[in-house]
Amino acid sequence: MDSHLTVAIYFVYICLGLIGAGMLLLFWLRIRSIRIDKKTELYLRKHQEYFKFIQTHLNGASDLPLPPGKLTKLERRVVQNKLIEWIGQFKGEIREKLMKLCHDAGFVRDDISLLDSLFYGRRVSAAYRLGGMRAAEAVPRMLIMLEKQSYSPLTIVIARSIAKSAERGDQLKEMLHHLLRHGKPIHNMAADILMETGLDTSGLLLKLLDDENPDFVKVALVAMWGQAVPEVVPALDRLVGAGEKDVRAEAVKLYLSSNPVLKDETIRELMADTDWEVRAAVAKSIGNLHAAGSIPLLRTALQDSNWRVRNNSAESLAKLGETGFEVLCQIAKHGSGVERETALNHVEKAMLEEAEHQKLDQMIAHNKKKLLYERYFGVSESKPVRQVAAVGGDYTA
Amino acid sequence: MMPNTTLESRQEQTSLYQEIEQSVKETGLEVSGVLFISCAGGPSYMETQVRGILESQPGLTYKVWGGEEPGSFFILLPGQTLDAVHFQGLLLKQRLQEIIADFDPRMTLASFPEQGELTQQVLIQMEDSVKHHASGEIHIFSREEVQASRSRILIVEGDATVREFLEIRLQMQGYETAVADNGLSALDLMESWKPDLVLTELNLYGIDGLPYIHHIQQLNVAEAPKIVVLTEQRVEQTISLCFQNGVDDYITKPFSPVELDARIRRCIH
Amino acid sequence: MTVNVVYFSIMAFSFRNIMTIFRRAAYSKFNTLSGSELVPSISLLVPAYNEEVTVIENVKCLMTLNYPTYEVIVINDGSSDDTLGVLRREFGLDPLPNPEMRNSIDCQTINAVYHNPQYPHLYVIDKPNGGKADSLNAGINLSHYPLISSIDADSLLEKDALIRMARMYMENPEETVAIGGDVRIANGCVIENGAVKEVSLPRKMWPMFQAVEYLKAFLGGRIGWSSINGLIIVSGAFGLFRKDYVIAVGGYRGGYPGEDMNIIIKLHRYMLENKLKYRIAFCPEAVCWTQAPDTYRILSNQRKRWGRGNLKNMIENYDMAFNPKYKVMGLLTMPYNIIFEALNPYFKITGLLALIGYTMLDMTHWRVLAVFWLINFLSGYLLSVGALLLEELAFKRFNKISDLARMMFYSAIKFFGYAQLGGLWRIQGHIQYLRNNNSWGTMTRQSWQEKSDTAKSA
Repeated sequence: MDSHLTVAIYFVYICLGLIGAGMLLLFWLRIRSIRIDKKTELYLRKHQEYFKFIQTHLNGASDLPLPPGKLTKLERRVVQNKLIEWIGQFKGEIREKLMKLCHDAGFVRDDISLLDSLFYGRRVSAAYRLGGMRAAEAVPRMLIMLEKQSYSPLTIVIARSIAKSAERGDQLKEMLHHLLRHGKPIHNMAADILMETGLDTSGLLLKLLDDENPDFVKVALVAMWGQAVPEVVPALDRLVGAGEKDVRAEAVKLYLSSNPVLKDETIRELMADTDWEVRAAVAKSIGNLHAAGSIPLLRTALQDSNWRVRNNSAESLAKLGETGFEVLCQIAKHGSGVERETALNHVEKAMLEEAEHQKLDQMIAHNKKKLLYERYFGVSESKPVRQVAAVGGDYTA
Repeated sequence: MMPNTTLESRQEQTSLYQEIEQSVKETGLEVSGVLFISCAGGPSYMETQVRGILESQPGLTYKVWGGEEPGSFFILLPGQTLDAVHFQGLLLKQRLQEIIADFDPRMTLASFPEQGELTQQVLIQMEDSVKHHASGEIHIFSREEVQASRSRILIVEGDATVREFLEIRLQMQGYETAVADNGLSALDLMESWKPDLVLTELNLYGIDGLPYIHHIQQLNVAEAPKIVVLTEQRVEQTISLCFQNGVDDYITKPFSPVELDARIRRCIH
Repeated sequence: MTVNVVYFSIMAFSFRNIMTIFRRAAYSKFNTLSGSELVPSISLLVPAYNEEVTVIENVKCLMTLNYPTYEVIVINDGSSDDTLGVLRREFGLDPLPNPEMRNSIDCQTINAVYHNPQYPHLYVIDKPNGGKADSLNAGINLSHYPLISSIDADSLLEKDALIRMARMYMENPEETVAIGGDVRIANGCVIENGAVKEVSLPRKMWPMFQAVEYLKAFLGGRIGWSSINGLIIVSGAFGLFRKDYVIAVGGYRGGYPGEDMNIIIKLHRYMLENKLKYRIAFCPEAVCWTQAPDTYRILSNQRKRWGRGNLKNMIENYDMAFNPKYKVMGLLTMPYNIIFEALNPYFKITGLLALIGYTMLDMTHWRVLAVFWLINFLSGYLLSVGALLLEELAFKRFNKISDLARMMFYSAIKFFGYAQLGGLWRIQGHIQYLRNNNSWGTMTRQSWQEKSDTAKSA
């Protein structure tokens, strides 16, 4: 018993010691951070005129100077952080000028030497700032750092810094290689990082599309969202037939967004794809492309197992003139199960939407549809607010 | 007696301005900077201090005259462009404050012909402007101060750094500006201050995005302001919705200030 | 003793991770991500029951988040007040003729979906009362995006909260099934335009205790638990989920409190049974501010409810405990929760009784009692100090030294009364559970009412 008690008392002493140490540490940290905050604010105020000076003369011909007088360490950091903030917001000549100031002031040199610091925290913060300053000369060193880094949120911090600072396409590629080697499907993140570069990306993306590494292809496809340029269409054409599901889906979506001329044959193939994302994307684009020849395909797709495919098909049918709309009405009237629900839903929606159209040609189109509608469902004075359509069990996101 | 003295001093002053003008011509350089500094309330040895500071910089030529009020000087810096004069101003101010703590010299500076022709009128205005500006900040003299009607731009931006930059930049271009840091006070300002153009971020506190754009258009004003969006939001759908809802221009960050100037000019004219 | 060993090791894990968290928060700028097309879209689900006083402000705050594509779905759970009316008037909402509801998950039939094209990202679902879980399921059925986030109608999200979570999700999109946010007490803070402008500690006693308690639970506990993937709860006030997995496990369970813990246990179970690699993460830098109950009555009711929910979840999933098939979850989290969370008050009471009895028999050993009590107190306090240290290292939300001193003081006096009350409430919750097993529906209703009372009084 007594020995137990002794142990317990020792434990009490240890606890007391730790609590005391913790409290001291807490107060010390708090006081230190208050002091740093105060000083930072003081320096910001002191250099307010200087910051105004810089902002006024960003467009001038001559190089920008540092503030007059000798600067303390913290003062330099305050000025540097302000410059980094500006660099992040501007582009073009003005950014270049600020970058040059960072370089001339020795900020870049100081942070590069910090990359060899013994403390991990200092290395990472230096890398972060170097990215902020777009320091091209630090890229090789940061690439080594990225290579050694195991996967963590900080991998992304370093990768981003490299992307911002890189001056050559191959550096970006190397960065992607290190980033993706951990096997995580982070293609969206990688694309976002890649697009931070100040370099012209169109050539690089094209090269990535042709790469044998499927991860690179995916990154390129995601990065191209919304900017499918004509040059990439051949590459996309090839990728539409790619074996990997994700690549194919992304390629098809991108391909269709460029409003290509689709052969009926291609449409049929794509509509029979095993991936619902592909089918949905194609069903959607048929309506936009006015490919009236595909009405039978869309009709079948109303029975698709996937909700989005059914929905997009119905939407496209409503867009394909009278013939398409009539098919929709037919199914809404005589069909069964999910296809009927989907069709009905979209017939109602189309009637409601088009009632608002003002222009003459749209009125005519609408009236034609209305005639069709009445043939199938009779004249309705006021449309009832339909109860929510139960579109069948659907287990996809 | 009194009126007579002022008259005399005026005459004296006139000759001073002429002298300065004369000196500028004599230098024969393309540009020359002029800095007016008022150390009112400072100790009497100010002039020697100022001269000492200027002297300490190798390669700097200068000329100093006493101004109308005691403790104020005109400093001519031949061959200096505006940014260099501005830097001299910074340096002077900093050194003076090192010598005398809590001392607040007032400054107006200009460089010619960057800011027009150097005339007596301009020199008088420079001297006066020091009195009008309440804050102790270094003031850059600009011709626009003479102009009466200017276009009004409301800057709405949550980020203080960008807000400050836009304000400085647009003021330099001669626009009258006001700032707001959130959607709600921006809408209030649009109604009360009636800007010609709103340069706005889409992502704001209070109200933002499309509802915010809608609110601008439903404001109770005679003429809705033009809307230029400057934002980080790059989603295509949002951009096209903005244009559909009456936004005049859409610029994404990071932005090129030169391009921004051009787009604003196009929107206003 | 074991309790403390577990607590300390969890805390140790927290400390191991704190610097990474600090750095990723400090060195991530969101200006590229927050406008990017590459960020996954999120549907925010906001169940609202009798929230007419606060709902407008909250919805406005939620609509101004710093996030590229998201929608806000408010679910009016058959409120008896004018929640729906104030929403409709404020945002000019009209019923949608053909709401595209998918019944991926069973929920009550809804009355209507309201929308206004001027606010393209806002939907309001009106449905008969069915509890919070059922509301969330209805929201899932309407939601258009692959990620869902559940948010209490009485809490305030920080502008960056969602993008911070999304960044964490994007770091490992395939394995992440859920991410929890950090919940902090907003009492005492200055709130302006739907944002916390000035962080300060609550002035009243009850919220102050809770502020200290939350800090300890979230920073000291959840960071550590998440690093070994043993998180058992993602706060109902603010959590992000992958919709496909929530649907796969059948959505939220209706009818009783504790649905937030329930969904996480189900996700763990599903992923482990299907042998899928996964993680349930905690994102302490994504902050949600909530109004804490500031009277004894409301607080005790809230805690009883928690005790009830916890016990129910434990009883229903007892098979996971000590089952090696469920890895960390089965071997550590579940036993820990059953023994140290659910049964903790009973142990404490019996231990205390035994000690007292023992000492009564032999008065010479009064020192034993004192020493044991001291150990209990000191180790608990050490954990609190540790949590404060974590806060100071990574977040620095409280600026004043006086705040720090107050937190230390309250962490200490928490052990004289408040901690014991906590145990008492938990036991009361258990008794409630055993007494009326089937009356969850009405209980939920009452609890929602309470919450809106809190918001009003705050």
